[in-house]
Amino acid sequence: MKRYDVLVVGAGPAGLSAAVEAARLGLRVAVYDENARPGGQLFKQIHKFFGSREHKAKIRGNKIGEELLQEAAAAGVEVMLNAAVIGVFAEKEVAVRVNEQILCRQADALIIATGASENMVNFPGWTLPGVLGAGAAQTMMNLHGVKPGERILLLGSGNVGLVVSYQLLQAGCAVVAVVDALPRIGGYGVHAAKIARCGVPFYTSHTIVRAEGVNQVTGAVIGELDKDRKIIPGSEKHLAVDTICLAVGLSPLSLLCALAGCAMEDNPAKSGYVPLVNRYGETSVAGIFAAGDVSGIEEASAAMIEGRIAGLAAAQRLGFLTQEDLDARVAVQERALASLRQGMFAPGSRGQTFTATTEGCPLSQNLLRQGYLTDTELSAYPGVVWAEGLHPIIECTQNIPCNPCRDACPKQCITVGATAGQITALPIFDAQKGCTGCGLCVAACSGQAIFLVDEEAGEITLPYEFLPLPQKGEQGLALGRSGQEICAAEVVDVKTAKVFDQTNLLTIRVPVQYARQARFFRRAP
Amino acid sequence: MTRINEHPILGVYQKGEPVEFTFDGQPLRGRAGEPLALALKAAGVLIHRYTAKLRQPRGIFCAIGRCTDCVMIVDGRPNVRTCLTPLAAGMDVRTQYGRGEKQ
Repeated sequence: MKRYDVLVVGAGPAGLSAAVEAARLGLRVAVYDENARPGGQLFKQIHKFFGSREHKAKIRGNKIGEELLQEAAAAGVEVMLNAAVIGVFAEKEVAVRVNEQILCRQADALIIATGASENMVNFPGWTLPGVLGAGAAQTMMNLHGVKPGERILLLGSGNVGLVVSYQLLQAGCAVVAVVDALPRIGGYGVHAAKIARCGVPFYTSHTIVRAEGVNQVTGAVIGELDKDRKIIPGSEKHLAVDTICLAVGLSPLSLLCALAGCAMEDNPAKSGYVPLVNRYGETSVAGIFAAGDVSGIEEASAAMIEGRIAGLAAAQRLGFLTQEDLDARVAVQERALASLRQGMFAPGSRGQTFTATTEGCPLSQNLLRQGYLTDTELSAYPGVVWAEGLHPIIECTQNIPCNPCRDACPKQCITVGATAGQITALPIFDAQKGCTGCGLCVAACSGQAIFLVDEEAGEITLPYEFLPLPQKGEQGLALGRSGQEICAAEVVDVKTAKVFDQTNLLTIRVPVQYARQARFFRRAP
Repeated sequence: MTRINEHPILGVYQKGEPVEFTFDGQPLRGRAGEPLALALKAAGVLIHRYTAKLRQPRGIFCAIGRCTDCVMIVDGRPNVRTCLTPLAAGMDVRTQYGRGEKQ
């Protein structure tokens, strides 16, 4: 029987990170994954990540995936693909299915990083071809270049639903509606705002009544929910769609942990049935660790840190690291994890309703219901300073863990939080520092919430990630934050640069009275 | 147009050679190595199978091999997850009825 020091199950962000840490310390490490490609979901996550530099913020998920694979190869990690771990037995012996064969493997430490699976909801017609998981849509368009549909209804307004909606627009699909049964949008306001300004409508307190069609989806009926979650009679609305995409949350894929005899709990704060783990990610079975979504649903950034901690701890258990050395290294990772787990979207904040930011700014209710800030709400935030000449307007209004804007500014015009670890504070713009209008903050903002505005000239520079890229001199329409057409606009500059990482900077000119409202450019049909 | 020619972030997709295969005897084209389910989708085929009892149509649902909604008869073998099966030239792909015991 083939033996390893550490066997990792799952080649996603947590598993690969764990493997890299352990292998770098000299352990013999293998990662087994049932899929044909490594990286888990990272290669489908083509948006820029949040967090700070230590969390790989402003780097796209697919690039982080490539980096992790290079690190794993350099560290000597063996990655076995098309290899599904189907059993865990005593003494950390595992059964692996490869094609028609069952192989047996054994390791001194086991790291389970199997991730999560998508939740589903059912409604009449939900089994029709054309009803898909959000992950399926990402697989189709981002891995294989096939559009999931032409006209899409997206159910679920958490970050997955919002990010997938944006990616659908990038793939050239029309997102007809984002529907959520809750009375408010669940994901980051900045993710909602970037699709709202493209004209995507939100239907909060709504659900799907039925999918229509005989052989495939040909339409959908949605209805408004009352306080008891019952559909209000007469509120039904028909939408002409060919695809319904479900983004209604994830559940930990923890059955291998249960099979291994780890103590488990049903924990709603962790989105489901998870193994109990200590600070190192070690389960109740000595030498078996769990890292990433399998032990509680979070972002991939958190999964990578949990993976690193588990990899280090496994090395210590096997005598490759002293307890003292382990604790010093883990403390660094825990600080990184703690800074990600702050703010109103943190795991510890689940279920809480916020009405103001920690700075005392009232939260935009319109952002929570419709996905965009109103003109009057906007001025309440520290990133929105109406100064003379060219300057950034930072429409970042919720406490989310993110600070690439601060690091991007060569003039230190932007601050986020009083200390380096405090990354959930709202960005503050200081007009006295002398903004040069370089636009680096516009491209660096993972939420695409920064615009350069010159009110006197009526010029707005906005982030633009669609094809075809408008040309200088092109005439079109300026859209407001709600996606409404507000006035004619001319493209006066288009900047692309390697440092912008595929986020193009489009400068449009509008009549000066619209400079505070115009936030997107629509090409003339 | 179901295929994305150029993507604003991913650029031009790396794809295999164009190949021919058959769906219920009818010739279709796809790209070698791409998931069979997506070659079918790009060719406009959405129904992969009909359920055993109610004869309801099913197609791609999870696209990662978990749900088994997309199974078909491939080269005479029933219950093949088409979302995980790489397309190869000359594949004989057929709609599956029920568990695929008989046509």
